[in-house]
Amino acid sequence: MFKKMSLLTLAALMAVSLAACGKDSASTSSAAEGKDKITIKYWYAFGDKIEEAKLHLVDEFNKSQDRYKVIGEHQGNYDDLHAKVQAAFAAGNAPAVSDLEIASTGVFANSGMLEELTPFAERDKDQVKMDDFIKGLMGNAYVNDKLYGLPFMRSTPILYKNVSMLKEAGLNPAGPKNWQEFEQYARVLKEKGKTAISMPADIWFYEGFVAQSGGQMLSDDGKSAAFNSPEGVAPVEFWKKLSMDGLMKITVGNEAGANADKDWANQLSAFKFGSTAGVSAAIEIAKGNNFEMATAFMPANKSYGVPTGGCQLVMTSKLSDEEKEAAWAFIKFMTSKENTIYQHKHVGYLPTRVSAVESEELQQHFKEFPQYKVAVDQLEYARPRPMENAYPEVAKIVRSSIEKAILDPNVTPQEALNEAAEKANSLLKK
Amino acid sequence: MTLWEKLRPYGMVAPAILVFSVFFIYPIFYMIYLSMFDWNFISPTKNFVGLQNFVDLFKDPDFMQVLKNSLVYMLLTVSLTIGISLLFAVWLNRTGVFYGFVQGAIFSPHIISLVSISLLWSWLMDPEYGLLNWAIGLFGFEKLPWLSHPSTSLISLVIVAVWKGIGFNTLVFIAGLQSIPKDIYEAANLDQSRPWKTFARLTFPMLSPTVFFLVIINMISSFQVFETIAIMTQGGPVNSTNTLVYYIYDYGFRFFKIGYASAAGVVLLVIVGLLTLLYFKLLSNRIHYR
Repeated sequence: MFKKMSLLTLAALMAVSLAACGKDSASTSSAAEGKDKITIKYWYAFGDKIEEAKLHLVDEFNKSQDRYKVIGEHQGNYDDLHAKVQAAFAAGNAPAVSDLEIASTGVFANSGMLEELTPFAERDKDQVKMDDFIKGLMGNAYVNDKLYGLPFMRSTPILYKNVSMLKEAGLNPAGPKNWQEFEQYARVLKEKGKTAISMPADIWFYEGFVAQSGGQMLSDDGKSAAFNSPEGVAPVEFWKKLSMDGLMKITVGNEAGANADKDWANQLSAFKFGSTAGVSAAIEIAKGNNFEMATAFMPANKSYGVPTGGCQLVMTSKLSDEEKEAAWAFIKFMTSKENTIYQHKHVGYLPTRVSAVESEELQQHFKEFPQYKVAVDQLEYARPRPMENAYPEVAKIVRSSIEKAILDPNVTPQEALNEAAEKANSLLKK
Repeated sequence: MTLWEKLRPYGMVAPAILVFSVFFIYPIFYMIYLSMFDWNFISPTKNFVGLQNFVDLFKDPDFMQVLKNSLVYMLLTVSLTIGISLLFAVWLNRTGVFYGFVQGAIFSPHIISLVSISLLWSWLMDPEYGLLNWAIGLFGFEKLPWLSHPSTSLISLVIVAVWKGIGFNTLVFIAGLQSIPKDIYEAANLDQSRPWKTFARLTFPMLSPTVFFLVIINMISSFQVFETIAIMTQGGPVNSTNTLVYYIYDYGFRFFKIGYASAAGVVLLVIVGLLTLLYFKLLSNRIHYR
């Protein structure tokens, strides 16, 4: 009896595992099922409003035509998404279309994971209208003059202000416009027992502060570090001063950004820096917690300046011709004028097309909710992110050195950044 | 013996061996193979670099910091977990509603997902508004920076690991205590042995197989700590909580250096293997087996 049982179990197990294999291979070539629909996968990052908007657009695309079917799958934040796309690609099971954080375009394109989009854009130039995309957003779309992505949910960091809190402290809610004013505001707020700002020592914000000081992260050829120049050191000195004087709280960990947001939402801090992706959510929070909020440019040092951010849509290589057409049709749809207007209004990301910004619909929307317009105006001062292969690692080194400079009283920002630059140089030269 | 009887045992272990080979043995050898290449996981060509990855690894001051962090984390976690669990076990090894409740309460963290635990403790340890700082403030102590300063970040992670681990370890200790025959205790009583002496000369030696088992599994699992670090600190601030597995993840999946990450993986394999061997050699003689 027992013998029979175990044999049966074994047989059952094997049958199940075989069936599982069979099912997998069938679903990848789903066109064979007689439905004539080509099914592709689209992987995206982030939840909440961002996910709502993305899934809504996927749904609209599926309804808009009957040749292709797109299945959207959530993959966590950008880091998680990138790691999973990479692993899936190595396993031969990559999604046809994916979000890709703009600074990673270089690594992905150079390692051959991305399909070049130039021929598609060339062929359908009347539909895609490449000239219509806002110029400032195209810097990370090309690698070696080849097009690899179309701007989708793009952003810049902006300053979120709790206007009610500023008014209570007797501060002019129109400011702070520059670093000096920011520090003054922070000191006044501290006297009233409030923290001015909670923020992570985030590389994206740092890129902004460096731009505001007139510097850049890497040399023009991308072969060496430029952040240990006086323009790169100034932001860290500024942060160190604010942090030592208890005017700024540096948050850490995977949830550092979320925790900083939470402090702002709970009115523990008056300011936060954040992606324009958070505008809709912030307006709702302010309404729910009964305070008045506004958005503004990140404060200037020598000038205003911000990096752009967010994601573009890319197509993975190694697709069949049919899948490529499906993926391209989907990318075109997602980045159209109508849909960029939709995602901007629903989430707060930038409208990516000039025609969208100029449209009646958005002009009306800006009048009603000026908080949305700030990021669009700030684009004038925006610049692309570095996308060298080694940049993710360099970013980590820089972040670590910034933390060291802020937390260790015996280390000056210059020393910490020099050390980071030395490490970065050896990585960038390869 | 018929042929079937000869083959049967092999047939029975075959599924386990198959799974083990595919998911453990093969990856180990593949990792050792990859550790000698410069590869990004994707490109069709792998560049053979010999032992260069290992040379780079041991030249990297960050990696030395990572090894040190892993070691300190392991020593603190294992000693605190085992020590506190043993105390709890001796205290809770009796019947009664209250003891049952305490046992259940300290066991509950064991069944909660580490991700939830990490989020929960991130809030508790918030330097400005966290519950822990509020609590120590009541006793007049100064606020601690917890996760946000290199001086306290690693010990904060140890606290979380110990808090989560105590329940399970206590349970295993209690099971060990209850399997000690009662008649030896009666004999000790007749000889009027003092409680401390009974513990040192009788309970602890009888419990040594359990202690040995727990030390080993705690050491191995604390060397593999990942979730709390990925969520609570991401190895920071200033690399103070970066440990081996997180370092491997960073290089493999964020910086696309799979060869370098594999080399670090080989180092982890060697360390865990050596620790296990060492403990079997050193402790097996001193352990009382019945």
